[in-house]
Amino acid sequence: MDRSMAAPTPGARSLETRISVNLDRMAKTANAAIVGALIGSALLGYYVSFYFHFATVFFLLLNALNFYWRHLQSTHTLLANFGFLAQVRYLVESVGPEFRQYLFASDVEERPFSRNERAEVYRKAKGIDSSGAFGTQREFETGCITLRHSFFPVSKDELHPFRLTFGEERGLDTAFTIERPVIVSAMSFGALGSNAVRALARGAAKAGVPLNTGEGGHPKYPLMEKADLIFQMGTAKFGVRDADGRLDDAKLEALAATERVKMVEIKFSQGAKPGKGGLLPAEKISEEISELRGVPMGIDVVSPPRHPECSDTASTVSFIRRVQEVAGLPVGVKFCLGRDVELRALLREMKTQGVFPDYITVDGAEGGTGAAPKSFMDGLGLPVFESVPAVDSMLIEEGIRPKLKLLASGKLIDARRQLIAMSLGADACLTARGFMLALGCIQALQCNQNTCPVGITTHDPHLQRGLDIEAKSVRVANYVNGLSHDHQEMLAALGRCSAKELSPDNLYVRGIRKDTGSR
Amino acid sequence: MKNALLWVPRLAAAAILLTVGYAKLTASPPEVALFLELGMEPQGRIIIGVVEFTAGALLLSPQAATGALLAVAVMCGAIIAHVTVIGIDLRHSWLLLTVLTSALIVMYVRRADLPLVGRTFGRGTRSVP
Repeated sequence: MDRSMAAPTPGARSLETRISVNLDRMAKTANAAIVGALIGSALLGYYVSFYFHFATVFFLLLNALNFYWRHLQSTHTLLANFGFLAQVRYLVESVGPEFRQYLFASDVEERPFSRNERAEVYRKAKGIDSSGAFGTQREFETGCITLRHSFFPVSKDELHPFRLTFGEERGLDTAFTIERPVIVSAMSFGALGSNAVRALARGAAKAGVPLNTGEGGHPKYPLMEKADLIFQMGTAKFGVRDADGRLDDAKLEALAATERVKMVEIKFSQGAKPGKGGLLPAEKISEEISELRGVPMGIDVVSPPRHPECSDTASTVSFIRRVQEVAGLPVGVKFCLGRDVELRALLREMKTQGVFPDYITVDGAEGGTGAAPKSFMDGLGLPVFESVPAVDSMLIEEGIRPKLKLLASGKLIDARRQLIAMSLGADACLTARGFMLALGCIQALQCNQNTCPVGITTHDPHLQRGLDIEAKSVRVANYVNGLSHDHQEMLAALGRCSAKELSPDNLYVRGIRKDTGSR
Repeated sequence: MKNALLWVPRLAAAAILLTVGYAKLTASPPEVALFLELGMEPQGRIIIGVVEFTAGALLLSPQAATGALLAVAVMCGAIIAHVTVIGIDLRHSWLLLTVLTSALIVMYVRRADLPLVGRTFGRGTRSVP
């Protein structure tokens, strides 16, 4: 018989009694003690010194509160059963997340980013040495992906400079070239405060990488800096919508004519909440946000789950063409992969109509968000390292891979993950949270509460005060430079002269021993 | 509506608290006499004056619940003083009962804002985000 199934021995039972706290008895004693303390301090106040009545008043209020908790309220069982001592549980519980992060969580176990992963970004952002010692702390026993280095690494001098031109396939005059394989992924003014947006935009300009505006409407704050912008158009089309929430061609044309706006992105879905439109609660719609996003004040604005113009593959492809024609810029699409069959139908429709977006961003389900239902974050969509190769091979099979660029996003905050994504088929990567960490994010996980302690995802002027735009923009630029440095070092070690030469051959996935074949 | 009406008890309690707090801090003769009787002159007078002044100021700020709690505490002390040492007189009783009732109303309406224990009162009107 299984030993653990056996009845506990008397010895084990008494041990348990001896080491556990008898909360019931302790609470009864405490509840009686504060009544005693009240009487005692009242007597001392009367006979010895009136100063003791400070204690009398304290115990009077405590007793009143305790009486309410124990006998009058019915919401909190612990308080009803044990009185004020049960408050200790609530107090300690409320500081639990901080204690775990400061003291008890190990360097590799926190999510979404472990302390080691965050520290790596911080070191890059501060421009300090990021070497470590003694060996990796990553979990190597289960499900790991690593890069396969070459027997014959190349020298860094042999590396080709990175260049990726969007819109070259269509021969656009407005084709846009990036010279680093990193883009600041979509973060809107609204999700982020104005200081954070400006620090990001200024840092992106310093580092020479473009910034995706997110669905924040007219990009007022990014336009204050010199960064190249990718204007994102979500399902609610903030900034370019008409009264019914459909695309207003004139507004898009005017925005696309802005010098700094280099590309337009149609967002179909987001990894953290695919199939769901955002909700902007009425309380968050300030006059400024109402103006920038083109929505009325005083009512909740619910983004539709899909673009009203796009009800099937044919209308979706027509819509892409319409945006390309109106904007006159490279136009990309962003989605999180759901069902392969739908994407394949869409790709075939593109061939039928002869219309191709200039790039596709595949967002992994592990991607970040300012606010999303937990069930969506945890339960929907494909992870980036599954969906990038799936989309890449579908594009190749349909023969349209040469027609467009493929970008990847979703937790790609370090060079390792970025190179893995590029080996799986992506031409370049986007990261949002990597840049937030560079701005000083401490992963307090309060992005949806307007209480961000480091002033990034909040509009509270008091909390934004500490976020110095100039100082943080330097860190943003440093982070990009640090990533570039790692990219080059790692490419050289992989024996590749450019990111274009990366292929699944460069990857080793535990459990899949054979080479996956070059593309 | 509720928030606008709440200004009535907030203003009433704050006006009285700021006045009597000011009188205590500037050592007005009647206050000095009271605290001599309690055997707390001058430290007790200054401490109570500061608490009353703080409570009055907080009642006018977004932290009205904390101000109301302080006001209730000071008024409890005042009741003890009048019942056990000084004796009850009409003028003080009126002021005291006005502050106590007003502060209790504010504290009840804003109970969810109370420091530390506020969250155990469930869904009260939270004024501080």
